[in-house]
Amino acid sequence: MLGGLNTRVMLEYLPEIWQGFLSTLWLSAAGFLGAMALGVLACALAIQPLRWLRAPAVAYVDVIRATPLLAQLYFLYFGLPRLGIVLPEMLIGIIALSLNSGAYMAEIIRSGILSIPRGQVEAGMSTGLSYLQRMRLIVLPQALRATVSPVIGQTIVLVKDSSLLSLISVVELTRAGQRIAIDRFMPVEGLVATALGYLVLYYALKSAAGAWSARNALPGRG
Amino acid sequence: MGRLDAIAGVMALAGVAAVAVPAATPAEAGTLEDIIARGELRVAVQTQGPPFSFMDKNGQRSGSAIELTTLMAQEMGVKVVYLDFDWDGLLPALMSGKADMLAADMTPTLARATQVAFTKPFMYVGAVAFAKQGGEIASVEDCKKPGATVAVLLGSTGEKLAPTVFPEAEIKSFKGGGTLLLDAVASGQADCGVNDNSAVKAQTAAYPEGTFAIFDQMLSKEPLAYAVRYDSMDLLTWGNLFIDTVELDGRLQKNLDYWVNSDAWKADH
Repeated sequence: MLGGLNTRVMLEYLPEIWQGFLSTLWLSAAGFLGAMALGVLACALAIQPLRWLRAPAVAYVDVIRATPLLAQLYFLYFGLPRLGIVLPEMLIGIIALSLNSGAYMAEIIRSGILSIPRGQVEAGMSTGLSYLQRMRLIVLPQALRATVSPVIGQTIVLVKDSSLLSLISVVELTRAGQRIAIDRFMPVEGLVATALGYLVLYYALKSAAGAWSARNALPGRG
Repeated sequence: MGRLDAIAGVMALAGVAAVAVPAATPAEAGTLEDIIARGELRVAVQTQGPPFSFMDKNGQRSGSAIELTTLMAQEMGVKVVYLDFDWDGLLPALMSGKADMLAADMTPTLARATQVAFTKPFMYVGAVAFAKQGGEIASVEDCKKPGATVAVLLGSTGEKLAPTVFPEAEIKSFKGGGTLLLDAVASGQADCGVNDNSAVKAQTAAYPEGTFAIFDQMLSKEPLAYAVRYDSMDLLTWGNLFIDTVELDGRLQKNLDYWVNSDAWKADH
């Protein structure tokens, strides 16, 4: 099946592919950190009792989830300069990935928190723990464990979504593959090289998640 | 990673390859023979913008390349069918036999010609630089300054030229049509843009007057040609004769004068 593949040309472009792979890796890592920060913040605002603090968090999650990442990316890249804000494309890429994934992370974390049975929170109240103490001692340790798997799932999506940054001239893995397609007219070699890179990242994330879960599992909770 | 994971990984990759590797097309009957038999010339195009290939104000597919391939089908005595792809889809469409021919504003290079057969050039274009009017960039020389950013199209003449013409500038490659370059320059994401003169001239027309300053100096000269598979030598021979014929009888010049060398098309499209 892979017989027609010109591996010699793929190897010739290995330095570009490797550079692209590293770019994708660090763009994704930066996007992940931004997304987690935004996700935790948006979730914290969304579940606390004050309505005027809840509204912006809910609006953020809704707007991001309702629009495609490509539109968000173009809005930041071509739209912001109209307001006088010109940022380098790398930074815009990281902001777009963070904003986009952050909304999904917020929902994931929220669902993890809501999965903790109400009775445990009430038991905490009756022993005199404050809201923050209940969160820190009862809810979060369990909720965060429950969110690891969906967070990894969203991170895998984030890694693949970073391929869209090639459209605003960021050189990453997808762009490196396009290079083979365009210079040599060998799109298959380009696509397979790109796919291989994402596959490596996917399995790295998947096995990291598996190892973490195995070490940190709580008795009685899968 | 478990062993099953590794096996799953290999299978996933094989799946990618199975989808992406173009199926070999049987070469027993000539492509031209197939086209005549089915009564349809299938042309893969990119809708990259005027004057070559775009949707006009009436919603019709038009442009220099479109009109020329329509004429080609007419001379062949068949209907023309356009398959619209992004750059990435053009080559697989040709290789898999979905399209008989590529008619994008494609420059034949020796590296590319190891994969596809190019016809004779049907026209020549040259790269020019442009910038925002009234900005700090007033000439090609300004684009060469250290720290200037130059936007080019991935795989284009402009991209190849850029490192030699603008050695001190930062080059940003965009993938897609020339309008993306115009947006990048208009929004200030790049100081200068470099693209084919005819594309720049036609595409800047869609922006408010005075948005761009186009610098006249031609930075290169490059041919444009059609591409077919190497198993379509009959179609290639016919295509070359077509280009010779329309060149001699003036129909090619008429097409270029209307679409490329003047703004005449703007009245109708």
